[in-house]
Amino acid sequence: MSSYLVRAVLEVAMVGGLAGVVGVHVVLRRLSFFTMAMTHATFPGVVLAALIGANLYLGGAVVGLLVAFAVSALSRRQDTTAATGVVLSAGFALGVALLSAQAGFTKDLSAYLVGSVLTVQVSDLVTTGAIALVVLVVLFALHKELVFGAFDSGGMRAAGYRVGALDLLVLVLVEAVVVTAVPAVGTILSVALIVAPAAAARLWTDRIGVTTVIAVVIGVGSGLGGLLISSEANVAAGGAITLLAALAFVVSLLLSPRYGALARLLPSARVSL
Amino acid sequence: MSAYLIDPFSLPFMARALLELCILGVLGGVVSAFVLLRKLAFAADTLTHTVFPGVVIGFVAAGEGGIFVGALIAGVLTAVALTVLTAARRVSSDAALAVLLTAMFSVGVVVVSRQTEYTSDLTTFLFGHVLTVSGSQLVQTAVLAAIVVLTLVVIGKELVLRAFDGVGARAAGYPVAALDLVLNVLVALVVVAAVQAVGTVLVIALLIVPAATGRLLVDRLGLVVGIGCVVGVLGGYAGLVISFGASVYGGVRLSSGATVVLALVAAYVLALAYAGVRRVVVAR
Amino acid sequence: MPSNNEPTLVFDRVTVAYGSVLALQDVHGEVRAGEAVALVGPNGAGKSTLIKAILGLVPVARGAITVLGGSPAASRSKVAYVPQADTLDEDFPISAAGVVLMGRYRSVGWLRRPGRTDKAIAADALDQVGLADRAKDRFGTLSGGQRQRVLLARAIAQQPKLLLLDEPFNGVDAVSQDALLAAVAKLKADGAAVVVSTHDLALAHVSCEEVCLLNKHQFGFGPPDATLTPELLQAAYGGQALELHGDHVIVSRP
Repeated sequence: MSSYLVRAVLEVAMVGGLAGVVGVHVVLRRLSFFTMAMTHATFPGVVLAALIGANLYLGGAVVGLLVAFAVSALSRRQDTTAATGVVLSAGFALGVALLSAQAGFTKDLSAYLVGSVLTVQVSDLVTTGAIALVVLVVLFALHKELVFGAFDSGGMRAAGYRVGALDLLVLVLVEAVVVTAVPAVGTILSVALIVAPAAAARLWTDRIGVTTVIAVVIGVGSGLGGLLISSEANVAAGGAITLLAALAFVVSLLLSPRYGALARLLPSARVSL
Repeated sequence: MSAYLIDPFSLPFMARALLELCILGVLGGVVSAFVLLRKLAFAADTLTHTVFPGVVIGFVAAGEGGIFVGALIAGVLTAVALTVLTAARRVSSDAALAVLLTAMFSVGVVVVSRQTEYTSDLTTFLFGHVLTVSGSQLVQTAVLAAIVVLTLVVIGKELVLRAFDGVGARAAGYPVAALDLVLNVLVALVVVAAVQAVGTVLVIALLIVPAATGRLLVDRLGLVVGIGCVVGVLGGYAGLVISFGASVYGGVRLSSGATVVLALVAAYVLALAYAGVRRVVVAR
Repeated sequence: MPSNNEPTLVFDRVTVAYGSVLALQDVHGEVRAGEAVALVGPNGAGKSTLIKAILGLVPVARGAITVLGGSPAASRSKVAYVPQADTLDEDFPISAAGVVLMGRYRSVGWLRRPGRTDKAIAADALDQVGLADRAKDRFGTLSGGQRQRVLLARAIAQQPKLLLLDEPFNGVDAVSQDALLAAVAKLKADGAAVVVSTHDLALAHVSCEEVCLLNKHQFGFGPPDATLTPELLQAAYGGQALELHGDHVIVSRP
């Protein structure tokens, strides 16, 4: 295997696994749309960072977080989905306007939007690994509090926790994963890699631990499989990866023993598991 | 002054762009009110992305003329899928939408990446080319806009009832699933009408921002629609003037689609500030 | 630990306001360990607001609330709150036992997992509400009454000195209501004070030592016989109060 392919394999495996883990919290808290807003808003951050020559991850993360704050501030005034939609289109348009001011922008643009995993550098791998480590440690250490907050934020507030700080922490973690996923699958497609494995896993079990394991397997599997398809069929890797993740979700929708369409069509096959 | 504000539109391509944006501004003002009422912002975003594979496959199959048909088929299919997915409620609908959206978009990315003009096709889809909109595209947009607005005039009050109280509408014997499907298809038609000319980024903004702005200022639906239309049209005009002025007089190339969105967002921010000030004044 | 002389909960001329709107005025009274107070009043009377104020989630504009000799915020670890079950996500992947175990999180602390003792306490709490056999079932698959019982078990697992229940009997079946009442009675016997908001005057009458009759301000605070009188109820509800069979009172809006 050539070295750029080795780097690509490592990158998609790490990003797939990380997205699977954090995706479980996104699904539990129903943050999919919010995550999408953050991915769209990360885009101008990455563009801005590229224009002024700053670190791409840092630029994306900072602007993504600003957007997270903007949405939660706006949500107090107006319905959350509308607020998210406004912020989403504003962020995206800002990125495009900034980029269009540069000559010959289309090539860079598509790399930010849908990823370009075959050009991943060793420095990208190190960054991905470091962010993954931090995110996983935090998720593991605060697991019970994060689940409590997702289930019953009112009860948690009554128990004396600072729920707002915890919610913000979740958003920061999600944003970190979005930024990490940019080289592999780009800003737009990262939502699928975060949401699809976890949503698929959720259909197979009612236990959070098992959900997480299945989500990681699907995430890593989609990453590696997508990379393989991409090199065999000469199509964009980011698209192939997210398509596989979405395929896992659709298959789960059809086949899962509890919620699957098949189980509902054939009630006799619905054995107690 | 008129050199900046009016003269640009003596150029035929600028006049066509303005006309296109005026039609879309009114369309956006009307439809975004229903998107707001039904909290369909996410669904609208989904539709804008899922039309992409239709555009790409249509182009690959039948060239320039296939784009419209491909987009139309993809848009209507998505509208049906959205209605079924949200009605089934087996999975939390936001997760299903996120997956549907990116999966369809991925299909487009995969297909288009087989083409040599990969990156420029992608950017055209995202940002459109309002400055090169053709006469026949104008006609397409106008026809679709007329269909959408007429449908909303005919069944508007039923859609409002359904948005306010779904259970009540069902109890009163309305076909709620059919109403949902109609609204989703209407949103899809707006996307199809607009996406080729102005790109997906601008369509999302047109489907959300005008009514969100109106809602900050007034409480009555009719006024929300009215303000939405004004905001939509003014945003289109201001965006064109600014991007034209920037490139001709300032030497800065600004994507006209993105500038229109930023003008719309600026209107939203002004409305937000006004609403904030009014609240403080009223509280005293 | 408060001595027997010191009440668990003291309202000293409490006024709560949201911005410039007064939600509740002049609540005055006290609740001792082993006693229950029923918050009674029409919808919008300020019952939930008072519960939030006891939790320290809504600031007190005038007067003071003293919980276990301290401020509400300072005493929170000894206070357990039971929300209404229908506000929670039905699809959430968590078992009944998992929900009850959440009651232990505060004393387990950050970064540590619940141990064997915590699990035993949680299992015992679930048993007290009569749902030991449903421990492994997903929370969302239980009936409304059973969910309310699981949430009470979570509060019991917290081993509180003060228990707050927000409309626990709304839409609850008879079996679950009996189980809830029995579990609350056991907590009282163990020395906890209880605050329960309810619409059910008969229930307030038989299961509580004190009644706080509210509608924006306090109409009475004291034993049920002294507060659930036709005159006071009529004043609080602004409607008609009828006396039937001696002590049953039916209130309707005119």
